[in-house]
Amino acid sequence: MNDNSGRHWSFDYNHGAQNPQFAQELIGTLREYYAETTACDTRIGQTFTHAYNILPNYWRGYGGGANEELSIGTAIIERNKDNGFWNYSVHYENTTSGENLRMQFRCSDKHYRSLTDSWRIDARNSGDDTYSELRCKGYLVEDSEVRLRINGNEILAGTVGASVKLTCNWALFDVIPALAQTIRESDDEIDLVLLEDLEQLRPKSRLGFLESIQTPFPLDGYYLYGTGLLPSYWWLDTHGDIAIASTFFETLVLKEKIGENA
Amino acid sequence: MNERPNILFINTDQHSWDAISAYGNPYLHTPNIDALHRNGTSFRRSYCTDPVCAAARSSWATGLYTSETGVPFNGGHLHPETPDLGQVLSDGGYQAFHCGKWHVPGRDVRESFQTLYYGQRNIGAGGAAYYDSASTHAVADFLTNYDSDKPFYLQIGYVDPHDVCEYLHNHEEKRIPNPVEQGIVSEDALPPLPENFDYDARETVLHRICRRVDDALIHAAILKGIRDWDELHWRYLRWNYYRFIEKVDAEIGRVLALLRETSLHHNTLIIFSADHGEACGSHQMFQKFTLYEESIRVPFIVARLGDGVLVEKDRFDQTHFVSGVDLFPTVCDYASIDVPEGLQGSSLRPLAEGRDVRWRDYAYIESNYWGRSIVTGQYKYVTEYKPKATEDFLPPGPDATQFGLAQLFDRQDDPGETKNLAEDAAYGEVVKMYQDKLLRQEVKLHRQQIVHPSPKRIISNWGDRLRSYWQHNG
Repeated sequence: MNDNSGRHWSFDYNHGAQNPQFAQELIGTLREYYAETTACDTRIGQTFTHAYNILPNYWRGYGGGANEELSIGTAIIERNKDNGFWNYSVHYENTTSGENLRMQFRCSDKHYRSLTDSWRIDARNSGDDTYSELRCKGYLVEDSEVRLRINGNEILAGTVGASVKLTCNWALFDVIPALAQTIRESDDEIDLVLLEDLEQLRPKSRLGFLESIQTPFPLDGYYLYGTGLLPSYWWLDTHGDIAIASTFFETLVLKEKIGENA
Repeated sequence: MNERPNILFINTDQHSWDAISAYGNPYLHTPNIDALHRNGTSFRRSYCTDPVCAAARSSWATGLYTSETGVPFNGGHLHPETPDLGQVLSDGGYQAFHCGKWHVPGRDVRESFQTLYYGQRNIGAGGAAYYDSASTHAVADFLTNYDSDKPFYLQIGYVDPHDVCEYLHNHEEKRIPNPVEQGIVSEDALPPLPENFDYDARETVLHRICRRVDDALIHAAILKGIRDWDELHWRYLRWNYYRFIEKVDAEIGRVLALLRETSLHHNTLIIFSADHGEACGSHQMFQKFTLYEESIRVPFIVARLGDGVLVEKDRFDQTHFVSGVDLFPTVCDYASIDVPEGLQGSSLRPLAEGRDVRWRDYAYIESNYWGRSIVTGQYKYVTEYKPKATEDFLPPGPDATQFGLAQLFDRQDDPGETKNLAEDAAYGEVVKMYQDKLLRQEVKLHRQQIVHPSPKRIISNWGDRLRSYWQHNG
């Protein structure tokens, strides 16, 4: 489906930013990453981190001037394994919204990365207005009620079936590699319940195989869609890492990996 | 408890009147807006003043029509001497807050309101994916910490579903396979084409030059990108539009849930509306800008979660024509603040309380400086002013000698607006009657000359194109 330029429609946003070119930035970031990753010192079983460049998908009119960098932030996903659980720490920094999110959560299942215990979100606004920070704690009650506590006030974010595996969109960077073979072999979609950014429940989400491409690099594409979700496209490389995650409004491009998946 | 109520105005962007599940739309799920309806009155005959963001928002901010505000399109500039709602409420003893999208060019929101959140890069037209969640965080922080003797007015400007514009921009320079080709959505999961997908090409000149011709004045690149769309692409546009609405509905849900948890909810009036609608495939059209129903008709709900404010619950008002100019006087009425002289709207408070009052029997809408429409229960009349031979930058009207082409739709027999009756001799009297109605409405307007260079430039450019048509076509 992609042309010879290596610009698959799901991550071709050259129209959205003229200088520098979106595709050049995306492919350049990946090329640099793959050049360095062969020499990377990996440490099995230790903390495992992916860092992504955030590129904007939006129309040029909303962007900054021609002299601004194309990248509008960084997403860092850090996790370590601890007695059969995975502890995640995600840092998302966006210079357009000005909001920096730090999300911490714990997962129990190797494939589906089901949320366990409680989780927390620390949001900070670097803009000029009154709102400066918000701390939110979330937890599951009796494996079905998703509750959020904000400044002492508790709200119900939604309910899930007791047998449902609830995961977070940031865990998809591990869920997709873990389920890739299953999805491709079964030719079926995988049903998921997502807690987007640990706050928004997306109860009917589906993950499926899109296609494989060879340029700009050998990548297998997966899609995610569902109620309340715009389709997003996730590209898995031959090392088992998500190299490109193209959501509706932004594209995350892998720029650094430290450690090796456990 | 404050004697005067707190007022929360939640607005979405580009949200068409029927894209709410409580109103019977089976293609999306909006449980939180549905809850607002259950807790309030939904005005079903609600219209924006102008089907673009900045223009419609200038009416919310001032209670005036867009030929009066200085913002008759997205590139306008609010007349500096015109008072805005934030200023009036602050002078009247309210704490006036803003959060999210503002988009009233010419007026610095931070000078008229206390801003909770306005983005690191000030929020412009779009960007819901970045701004809406942060807006909810800001409002959550506000609601759970508000501690003042003064009542508050808080307007939350959510950007979605405006991001459907980004979906369209994405099609400008590449071909995206339809979802069935992609293999991600089955055909039966997509909404059908709208019943009014086909349209009557006898449209106003303004309409055609803005949106139909290859070198259209607005969004020609999108037009080019979608020329080869198949039916599934159009249906997929609709499918995506509904997902954007579900996203913003979830944001609204968190705000309402938190409000319920605070004592503020007892005495807080909630108003929900949208600046304009979205064509979403109707008349093979996208976005807004036109005077078709999907672009100009918007939701408008007045609601309450507690007992401190009187609003009739779980009720549809199918009778009264509501306009964006009514927001300002409605807020001031509930706040017990006198409105500035010259406002065009009326307070919806008596209607929301179930009282019978004398009310207008039509909606008046402007578009793209020269476009005009009158909507009544039976007919909808659309026309345009021809550009003046020499532009004086005074918004046109009332002047029957300068009317251009027209559209007339029978709203009872043809709710989808697919058959233009304006040239049918049998409807000559109806057309005349609606022209008179339009002129009578326009006499009431306090139009001011536009002096800011930016909107003057746009008027000059667009006027040249229109003038060229009329020179060649009489």
